Order: sequence, then C-alpha cells, then structure tokens
Amino acid sequence: MSAPLTMLWLTPLAGAAACALLGSRARYAALFFSMLFAGLVAGVACGQSAGVLSVINEIGPAWAYGISYRLSADSLSLGLIALTAFLNLICVAASWELEVPAGYWACFLALASALTGVFLARDLFLFYVFWEATLIPMFFIIGLWGSSNRLHAAVKFFLFTFAGSVFMLLALLALVSAHHRVTGVWTWDLAALDASTLGSAAPLVFWGLVLGFAVKIPMFPLHTWLPDAHTEAPAAGSVMLAGVMLKMGVYGLLRVALPLFPTLSFDALPVLGGLAAFSTIYGALCAMAQTDLKRMIAYSSIAHLGFCLLGVLSRTSQGLVGGTLQLINHGLTTGALFLMVGFLYERAHKRGLSDFGDLAARAPCLTFFFGFSTLASVGLPGLNGFVGEFMALSGALAVLPILAFAGVLGVTLAAAYALPAFQAVFWAPAGPGSVSEKVVDLDLRERAVLWTLSLLMLWIGLAPKPWLAYFEPALRGLVR
Amino acid sequence: MTMMPMAPQAALAAGVLGALSLGLMRRPSALALRALAVAAVAGAMLLAVCSAADGYASAIVLSDSKSIGWQYLIYLGALPLALWLDGEDDVLVALFLGATLGMSLLAAASNLPMLFIALEFMSLPAYLLVARSRRGDRALEAAIKYFFAGGVAGALFMLGLSLYYADTRSLAASTALSPLGQAGAGLMAAAALFKLGAFPLNWWLPDAYDAAAPEVSGFLSTAMKSAAVLFLMRLCELAPEAGFSSFLPAVGAITALAGSVMALRQERLQRLFAYSSVANAGLLIIGVGAWAASGRSAEGVSALLFFLGAYAFMSNGTFSFLKFSGLETRTQLKGRGAAMPAAAAAFTVLLFSLGGIPPTGGFMAKLLLLWRAVDAELFWPAAAGAVSALISLAYYLGMTRDLWFEKADESVSFRPDSGAALVVACAVGVVLLGAAPWLMSSLSGALTR
Repeated sequence: MSAPLTMLWLTPLAGAAACALLGSRARYAALFFSMLFAGLVAGVACGQSAGVLSVINEIGPAWAYGISYRLSADSLSLGLIALTAFLNLICVAASWELEVPAGYWACFLALASALTGVFLARDLFLFYVFWEATLIPMFFIIGLWGSSNRLHAAVKFFLFTFAGSVFMLLALLALVSAHHRVTGVWTWDLAALDASTLGSAAPLVFWGLVLGFAVKIPMFPLHTWLPDAHTEAPAAGSVMLAGVMLKMGVYGLLRVALPLFPTLSFDALPVLGGLAAFSTIYGALCAMAQTDLKRMIAYSSIAHLGFCLLGVLSRTSQGLVGGTLQLINHGLTTGALFLMVGFLYERAHKRGLSDFGDLAARAPCLTFFFGFSTLASVGLPGLNGFVGEFMALSGALAVLPILAFAGVLGVTLAAAYALPAFQAVFWAPAGPGSVSEKVVDLDLRERAVLWTLSLLMLWIGLAPKPWLAYFEPALRGLVR
Repeated sequence: MTMMPMAPQAALAAGVLGALSLGLMRRPSALALRALAVAAVAGAMLLAVCSAADGYASAIVLSDSKSIGWQYLIYLGALPLALWLDGEDDVLVALFLGATLGMSLLAAASNLPMLFIALEFMSLPAYLLVARSRRGDRALEAAIKYFFAGGVAGALFMLGLSLYYADTRSLAASTALSPLGQAGAGLMAAAALFKLGAFPLNWWLPDAYDAAAPEVSGFLSTAMKSAAVLFLMRLCELAPEAGFSSFLPAVGAITALAGSVMALRQERLQRLFAYSSVANAGLLIIGVGAWAASGRSAEGVSALLFFLGAYAFMSNGTFSFLKFSGLETRTQLKGRGAAMPAAAAAFTVLLFSLGGIPPTGGFMAKLLLLWRAVDAELFWPAAAGAVSALISLAYYLGMTRDLWFEKADESVSFRPDSGAALVVACAVGVVLLGAAPWLMSSLSGALTR
C-alpha cells in the first residue's frame, strides 16, 4: 500500500458514503468499515512501533497559495487515531440495536474520518479544514438523535467551537503572511513556518491560536457549550465528543502552539496553567452540584482535561507524557461511563441521580462496570486514571508547585462527586418515583463492549510502561 | 481568431431586440422566449471566452482581463434567471437581457461618462424587473423605493463626476487630485456603495429583494453585485490617491457587521437573504479596500473573483430553492427536510457554504478575501469580517436546525414545485469550489495574468 495515511482517513469516509447508499442495511456497512478502519490503524501503528516506518510522511502536490497535501504520523498522532478508531468501533457496537436511519451510521464514520484527518495533517490549511469538518457530523448527531433540548445544544455547540476556530484561522493567516513577507515563500507547512517572522504581532497570534484550542478543550471560562452538548447528544455521540473531540484542543496545543511558540507558551504558564488548575476545581464543584448523571459526567470532563493541560503545559518529560496518556485514559473511562448512562436511559428513559436506587441487586453487571469505571475515573491506584494524573501532577509540581496543589484538590473533589453518585444510583434504597424496576441487567453485547474498555483501563493501570514509552519519542522535542 | 470588440454585448443587444420582436407576434411561444434568453446569455459568455485572448481598448470601452473576468461572473449570475424566467412575458425577458447588457457594459466601460451610462442602463431595467416580476402592491412600492434610491445614486455620481472634471479637466484616471477632485471621487464611490447596499445606504435593498420574485432577487444579488464591485474597483483605479484604501475597509467592516446582525431576527426568508447579501457586500468592500491598499495586486483581484464566483452559486442556489419550494418564512421551513430530502440537503450545503464552513466554496471565498485583508495589515476589518461570518452562522445554522431537527407543522399547506435540479447543481458547484479550489484559482489566475 503506497499511501497508508491517505487510506486511513479515506476508509471511514468511504464507509460513510456506503452507509448513506445502503439505507436500511447501513449498520452492517458501518460495522464492516469500522473494523476495517481499526484494522488499518492497528497495522500502521504496529508497523510504526516496530521501527519499520518510524515517522510516516506523505506529501502531495502543492496547490495555490502555498497550500499542500501533507500528512505525517508519529506516535502522538497514531495514538489518538487508534483511540478514534477504537471508540468508533465501540460506538457502533453499543448502538447496534438502536432503530436509527442510515444517516446515523454515516455521521459517525464521517466524524471518524475528519478526526483522523486532524491528527494526520501537517499542513495548517488542511488541519483547519479537517478541524472544522468534525463539527458538521457532530452537529447532526446531536440535533437529530439527541434528547429533549437537542435543538438548542446543537447550535450552541457549533457556534461556540466555530467562534474559537475563526480566531485560530485569523492567527494562522497572519502567521503565513508574515512568513511570506520575510522569506518570500508562501507555505502552510507546519515544519517550515517560523513564528519569529511575526515580530511584535507574535503574542496576538499565539493567543489567537490558544483561543481556538481552549474552546475545544474546554478551558474555563470557555466551557459553557460542553455540558449542554454532552448531555443532549445520544450516548455514542457523547462518547465521541468526550472521548476524542475534546482531545483535539490539547492535541492542537501539543502540535501547533507549543512547537511554534516555545518561549511565549512557557511564559503564559501562570495564566494558562492557572486556568487549567481552576478548571479542575471548578469542573469538580459543578459536577458535585448536578442532579443529572450525564451532566455530572460532562462536568467531570472539564476537570479531567484540566489535569491533561497541567501536565502538558509544565513541559517536563513526565508531565507531557502523563498528560498525553491521560487523554487516552479519559477517552476510555468517560466513554464507558457515558455508554452506561446511555444503557440506563434506553431502559428507563431517566437519568437523574434520584430516579434510581438499589440497582446493585437488579443489575449486578452494570453495577460492577459502573463502579470499576468510576474508580478509574477518580484515580484509584492500579487503574489507568492514577498513572496519568500522578505523572501530570508531578510534572506540574516540578515547575509551579501551586498548580499541583490545586490539582490535588481537584483529585480529592473528584471522589466527592463520583462516589456519592455511584452510591445514590446503585446502593441507596429506591425512593418514591424510582424507575429501577425497569432496569434489566446488561446483555452479552453490552457486557462485551464494557469488558473491552475495562480490560484496557486495567492494563494501562497495571503496566503503563509500554504506553508511556510509546508516546515519549513524539513528545521529546517539547521538553523544556 | 480575432473577434469583433464588444461581441458579447452585441449578442445581448440582439437578444433584447429579439425578445421585443417576438412580443409583436400575437401569441409568442414561451419556449422560444426562454430559449432566446438562455441563448443570448450563454452566447455572450461564449463570445467573452473567445475574445479573452485579444485585448482591446478605446476611449470609452476596453476589453482587458478584468473586464472579461467580470463578464463571466455577470453571465454566471444571470444564467439561472434565464432558465427560470416566465417565458409568457416578452417584456420581462427583454428587461432581463437589457439589465444584463447594462452590467456587461459596466464591466467594459473605460471612462467616467461611459460608466454612468452603463450604470443607468443596468439600473432602469432592474427597477422594472422588480416591479413586474410579481403581481401586487408590495412589488410596486418596493420598485418605487428602489427607483428613488437608484436616482439618488445616479445624482451623486453625476455630482461627483462634475467635481472630478472641474478639478482634473479630464474624464480618465488621474493621480494628483485636489480636495475638490477627492470629494468628487468620494461621491462617485458613494454611488457604487449605494448599488452594493453598503450600510447605511442599504435601506432600499431588503424591500426590493423581498418584494421581487426570488429568482429576480438571486439575479440582483449576484450579477448586479459583481457589476457594482467592478464599478467600485474602476473608481479606485481612476482616483488612486482618494484615500479609498483607508476608507473602504472601515465601511466594509461596518456593513458586514450590520448586515449579519439585522438578518438575525428576520422571519421572511427573502428578507433574511437580502440582509445576508448586505453582509456579504461588506466583505466584498473590505476586499476591494485590501486590494486598493496592497497596490492593486493580482492576488486581490483573484480573491474578489473567487468570492463573487462562489457567491453566484450560493445566492442563486438559495433563491432558486425559495422559488421552487414556495417557502416564504422561517416557520414554514420547520421539518420540511424530510418532505424533499435531495433539495433540502442541497440547500443545507448552500447554507453551510454561506456560513463559511469548510470544505465548501464559501469557506475558501471568505478565507481568500480575509487573507488579503490580513496581508494588507487591515487586522481590524479582517476581525470584523470574521465576527460577521460568525454572527451569520447563527441564522444559517438556525435554518438548518428548523429544516431538519424540528417537527413539521402540518397545518401549513406545502407543495414543492419541480425544478430542484438547479439547487442541486449549485450545491455541487460550491462543494467543487471548496474541495478543489485550484479549479477556480487557476481559471482566475489565467484571466488576471
């Protein structure tokens, strides 16, 4: 295969087209293409980590205006693409029994294609196009198959994230123009662009980029789209939103903002790190106040992404690697939690904390998996969350101890919202108006999906070393 | 092959005469009239392609790369109306071809009196087109309003022209202008801004676009807008020192913001698209300002060409959708996606393109235009243009939501007409422009070389 990276993003896109054409049998096409996609990613990743391919580059012909088709995959890109492919397959398996039209499956595959493109693109124009293209399928996923308040949430989600990226685009335009003015060359190539050509406009461009990424992460105070979007999206949509789309922001920082502005980004640590630390505490406090299970998990995402940011912004080796691993961890644990809330909602059409009770007796499997994922999410040693959070916080501790202190407070607060919620839904006696009797335990398909996720969490928690070693080479250059 | 100069205009003039002659028959065939309109516009386009190679310049008209490039855009914007026109009405066909001829003359005019004649030639049939395209008092009222606005624009132009002549004693380009001549150039630019609907000279535009038949509004918002942009550029060339490069970006920024804000709360769809066309005019004015500020670069011209080309697809496509679906208000849009999936999907693509979302032609168009502004270090106008695009997204997404996510109100009677093919064709056009922008850029690059 001569162009493995192009195949990577085209395969799910072809799957989307096949789903749209097949109509009522679309779910089989979706399953086939998701498996094909996952297989391809596994093949490329194995080839790369075996040292056959190391960093894969694909450079196409240059278009006008210095735009060129330029893809590249290092372990950071491939790790996130693997997460995309894996969660996409999980989503297809988890929604298998839903009565949905072909468009549902097509949207998920189109989303996977655009996300893959974001992680592969090394031409900033291409990067931006893929970045925005992710919004379109998610807009329809929320708007067409979401819950009661979906109309509002879909538009809010799109507008908010688009607002951030418009300023990112203006910053990129200024960067490309400045590069042309100094060197006489039009280029959008990330590796060739040099931010020192910007002169005094550099801070403006840096903050423009950060604005675009911070909305996506989302960092306080740009987070207000997230609770609505995550709560109203269908379960699988929330999995992709939290599991992969939030990672785009941190990925953008790692890939674009930090390498282009090494000094500026470190000087901004007190502000950005402060906001990240505040996000962890604020997200946890908001999660504590929720009465809706899904909304609680949505707010917990804000807190978790704060940890990732703290690690990444510290620019120490363990912080960077830990923050990146935490991206994967959050995708697995929050993905599992959103799926289980989805399963509950499918059965009982409720998801309030007070709508259930005494589920442990009725649905022991669900209880086990929910407890397992909750513990992973709050960072129990031996499970994946602990590794990522510990490393990210120790990275932050080495640079600005106060940030690590705030982060530790965030960890404590995580236990304070997650465990009582688990208790209220599964162990507390069922109150009046409880819909627990409608809940039947997980079937084989659902258990298989959750087993896969749980075993991965356990693996990363018990033997994190190969995972850390996998990401380390791609991040080495960013260590300060 | 050497073409007769002004051959495209001659084809259009023949079309006008042909339509009027057919009207003399007792019962003119609708098919023949419609075929005549299509043949005249398509023939003019073909002749423009053939004459692109040989330049021509005289005291009053010229055929340079810009003139030819803009003629393509004008014919591209006019072609859908030629297809949609009510073939029963010979006068309407003659008016339409006459307005197109005026625009085409505007693209070729090389001195000021010729610009004025072309401006009036374009405007007079346009007033009547608005009045005649739909029966009822509202159309008449809007046409009268449009007529008076056009009259003011013409008077401003004449006044500016006389001041300019008093200063320079010439009707051609001049570099050294006294304040008198600069005032003259400013007044002439005001006439162009009137035609474009720049804020606050846009009060006539929503009424005219709302009252006319949708396909006529599509024609006005594409072909007429292209002609007016070229008009503004010609003025910038005539008086390069008149301070246009600092004045136009500010006007454009205000227009872009005002247009998109005013479109937010519109209930009638044609009115909404009229305000959205004001917002797009604002972006174009920023583009002309950036072009003037960067020493009238070829890149600036190709960015404007690309924008107008993409806009010809977007605007004609959306107005064609309104025409064929018969939908008039945003409430009626609700839940109609399922009733006509292909056309509604194409309309959605056009809305995304108007909102500037990649990978569509609208995104590339906005990107290239704002990039010119950033490159000319017009940061604030560029940011205002971006904010305007963002605000406009609120109603484009809102319409998408109404169309697909809402439930249909069954009490509203709804009967889609046939003829969605043009909407689909326009949607395919914008996707091609977005996915393969070099198609257009190599074309416009070849034209503006």
